[in-house]
Amino acid sequence: MKKDATVTVTIDNKPYTVPGGISILEAAEQNGIYIPTLCAHEELTPYGGCRMCIVEVEGMRNLPTACTTPIADGMVIRTNTAQVQSMRTEILQLFLSEHTSSCLICEEKDQCREYMGTIRKAGVTTGCRYCSNDGQCELQDVVEKMEIKDIKYPIYYRNLRVEKEDPFYDRDYNLCVLCGRCVRMCQEVRVAHVLAFNHRGRETVIGPAYERTHLEAGCEFCGACVSVCPTGSLTEKARAYEGKPDREEITTCTFCGVGCQMRLLVKGDRIIGSLPEQDDKVNNGQLCVKGRFCITELVSGPKRAKHPFRTYAGTPAEITWEQAIDAAAEKLAACKPDEFAMLVSPNCTNEDLYVAQKFTRTVMRSHNVDTSARAFYGPGFNEYLNLMKRSVPLSEIRKASAVLCIGLDIRFGRSVVGVELRRAFRKGAKIVSVNPRQHSLAMISERWVQPVPGTEIDFLKSLVKSTGEKTTAAGTKKDDDVAAVARILSESKSTVILLGSEFLQYDASPDILAAVDQLAKNIRAGVMPLPAQNNLYGSLIMGSYPELLPGGQSSTNPARLAQLKRAWKSSIPSFHSKWNAANPTAGKKLKVLYLIGESLLSNADKPADYIISQNIYPTDSLFETDLMLPAAAFTEADGTFINGEGRLQRIRKAVEPPGKAMPDWMILSKIAQKLGIDGFAYKKAADIHKEIAGLVEDFGSFSKPKREARSLNVKTEMKVIKPKRAPGVKTGKGHPFVLSTSISEHTHRGFPLSSWVDGTRSLFCEGRVAVNPEDARKAKLTDGDEVVISSNGFKKTVPVRIRLEQPPGTLQLTKTEAEAVNPNPHPVKMRKK
Amino acid sequence: MKEKDYHDIFSKFKGLQTDLIPILVRIQDKAGYLSEEAIRYVSEFLKMSQNQIYGVASFYPKFRFTEPGKKSIKVCMGTACHVRGGLFLSEAVGWKLGIGIGQTTEDKRFDFQRAGCLGCCTLAPVVKINEHVHSRMSVTRLKEILEKDD
Repeated sequence: MKKDATVTVTIDNKPYTVPGGISILEAAEQNGIYIPTLCAHEELTPYGGCRMCIVEVEGMRNLPTACTTPIADGMVIRTNTAQVQSMRTEILQLFLSEHTSSCLICEEKDQCREYMGTIRKAGVTTGCRYCSNDGQCELQDVVEKMEIKDIKYPIYYRNLRVEKEDPFYDRDYNLCVLCGRCVRMCQEVRVAHVLAFNHRGRETVIGPAYERTHLEAGCEFCGACVSVCPTGSLTEKARAYEGKPDREEITTCTFCGVGCQMRLLVKGDRIIGSLPEQDDKVNNGQLCVKGRFCITELVSGPKRAKHPFRTYAGTPAEITWEQAIDAAAEKLAACKPDEFAMLVSPNCTNEDLYVAQKFTRTVMRSHNVDTSARAFYGPGFNEYLNLMKRSVPLSEIRKASAVLCIGLDIRFGRSVVGVELRRAFRKGAKIVSVNPRQHSLAMISERWVQPVPGTEIDFLKSLVKSTGEKTTAAGTKKDDDVAAVARILSESKSTVILLGSEFLQYDASPDILAAVDQLAKNIRAGVMPLPAQNNLYGSLIMGSYPELLPGGQSSTNPARLAQLKRAWKSSIPSFHSKWNAANPTAGKKLKVLYLIGESLLSNADKPADYIISQNIYPTDSLFETDLMLPAAAFTEADGTFINGEGRLQRIRKAVEPPGKAMPDWMILSKIAQKLGIDGFAYKKAADIHKEIAGLVEDFGSFSKPKREARSLNVKTEMKVIKPKRAPGVKTGKGHPFVLSTSISEHTHRGFPLSSWVDGTRSLFCEGRVAVNPEDARKAKLTDGDEVVISSNGFKKTVPVRIRLEQPPGTLQLTKTEAEAVNPNPHPVKMRKK
Repeated sequence: MKEKDYHDIFSKFKGLQTDLIPILVRIQDKAGYLSEEAIRYVSEFLKMSQNQIYGVASFYPKFRFTEPGKKSIKVCMGTACHVRGGLFLSEAVGWKLGIGIGQTTEDKRFDFQRAGCLGCCTLAPVVKINEHVHSRMSVTRLKEILEKDD
């Protein structure tokens, strides 16, 4: 039978016409007929494990399960006969004998919920309320529908230990009904294979091998299993006991350039959680640990900046907005164009970035506006932008027959891309990973190339050479890896190159990125740089760099400058900026430095006389912030982002900002108006968006952005500081380790996520040095020990993080502050402090 | 087992997921059990996660995850043996050797398992030590046998 043909069936004595090829359960659900079920889930394949959905079908032996039986023309189905009901009740009774049940059959259940008397006080001590999912439990719903009032069989309590050792979610398998949803989620949808059924019969328990913790077993903490659990076995630590959300708001995640769409769960005036948006082109119903678990803690932290404050002689004092705006205006009015600089975060919305650069250019008459992306991409910034100019959308992975991943880590960031990669792998695509570290990607790779840090460029150069040749000379002695990878790439019909952040801070990064560019040309592959900053693309198009104007034109383009002058009804200085974020001491000594969502990554002297910091948290910085302005987080403001693919996406205001915090653009507008400058009379973010639409193509519809994925169009070279050539990374007797350093990619508005989200501290290595377990054993190190890393002209004391994936003989330092570790990577020695 | 032994076993297979159980059987035949190391090698060869492999292997009572002892004690827990006191025998082993089901003594001399039915119900209760079946077993006699082996 054709899948799209419709069939006529009789369900409970009524005829229905339903599409063919679906299951009995789906047919019943489409027509509003209730069939109880615990293991079926719309995202997962039918399983038939719980047996609750048994129905009677005329002409079929026994009672088939509705979820696994396909519908057929002329079927006569009865969902509610006495026999079916009595068997369902019996099955449910067996479930309940293994499931602690005070919330299911207690006589005082209703009063309890209403007055909370028992539930909150006695309940907690008597153990009556140890399941945090009360009220959101599918087992409760089924018990209620089946009208079960007592439990027939003796209770068999398994007495399993409640597992709380992993970050973000707890597991109490005493409440588990073994529906297998989490296992199927982990295996079918996420393809992560962390969860499995272990042992059998009544000993069955869900978990990783050898009772390892999820962290040890390679869990990515995507939380997909938690979302599908029908009981309270899996619960979010941060959302436990919160109950049902009042409403949901669709927004865009701001933790990396993928731009996942998600639903914020709002209760009262708080964000209590976030879930993936199901039918989305970008993330397809998936999120990573950052989007799933980090948002609540980040935006509702108790230390959020709620009031403006200024510092008098080293002591912060709360002030009103009027005083704050006056203070800022006074300092800015006395500041010459060359003595002002603004650093704005590439995590801000397009509207914020646009107003920030407009403020700098029309109010301060300067081009000194920059983002921290310049430091992150370092000397390879231009080459990175070149790759963005020829990027392809993420959906290309699905069509690819080979995927080359360079420096990509798919565990905690971009795990949505990881899911696509694993699906491609299962469909037969060949995956090649170039990465010194053994991540989960290595396991699905046809070829895992493991270069010593610093030698990636040699591999890529030989690969470029090998793929550039018309005929590969047979019999010549070639490096194994190069030959194998070149063969995989040459056999592939369509290839995609994915670029992660691993090598971006290396001295050789311009060469690496140029080699990737050349390689892509040689094999006609699509390139997908996956920026770590959610709005890097937007910041370039909004012109929040000294060299760039809104629209991506060069600041020296006279026609564009004239156009902007007319649009802004203001004069704009001609471009002569020497200052930029990578070279903050060039040009005149700064009088005012305005930080929007940035914390200065520097332990140098105070970079300006007066520092204004506008952020969601106060900076616990190395220098004094003179004026702190509280900003709204992305859950508290409207706006748009452009993701790494070039897609325009919305964020929506879900809750009010805490205290007196305001969106970034509003604060800037108020200061501009105080200084008597026209052109900042914005009432809402949509007004700014409208103004941008007049200057930049494809902006316009604020409520429903239409701009789809497209490559970047930027018409200038960015100024970068090229490092001195690295003198090789030969390790010697004195310096046996290769140390590579990188800037954390898991940051938001200038802060590493781990400073505000506790759980991420066990996932990310910020401020610590990763050491191979074997090396650690030799040096007698345990997690958290301090070591001294030194080479000629460099010495640093850092805590150790023992990481299985770190190759022996190498060290990886994830910095939270910019400091010269030259060259990068380079040989060092390490000793225990 | 050394790395080479694993590769010898793998060389007979194509690396399909369906090869999992035959590979595990061969490893257990050679090494006597499935070590963490073994599961890691199989995971790399078949490109399956260790968790998945453990999930499959732990389903089958045939596979064991602890190193077997010199003498393998199997207490029959089939219906007839159960009725005639198999449970007491099983507890007695626990008391005597201080190990649970599926475990091995620290000195690697004994390991302890329970069996479904050994197929000699008329001799119940039975205990199998290595290949030798001891019939009509009692707790005292079992203790004696274990001590004699000391």
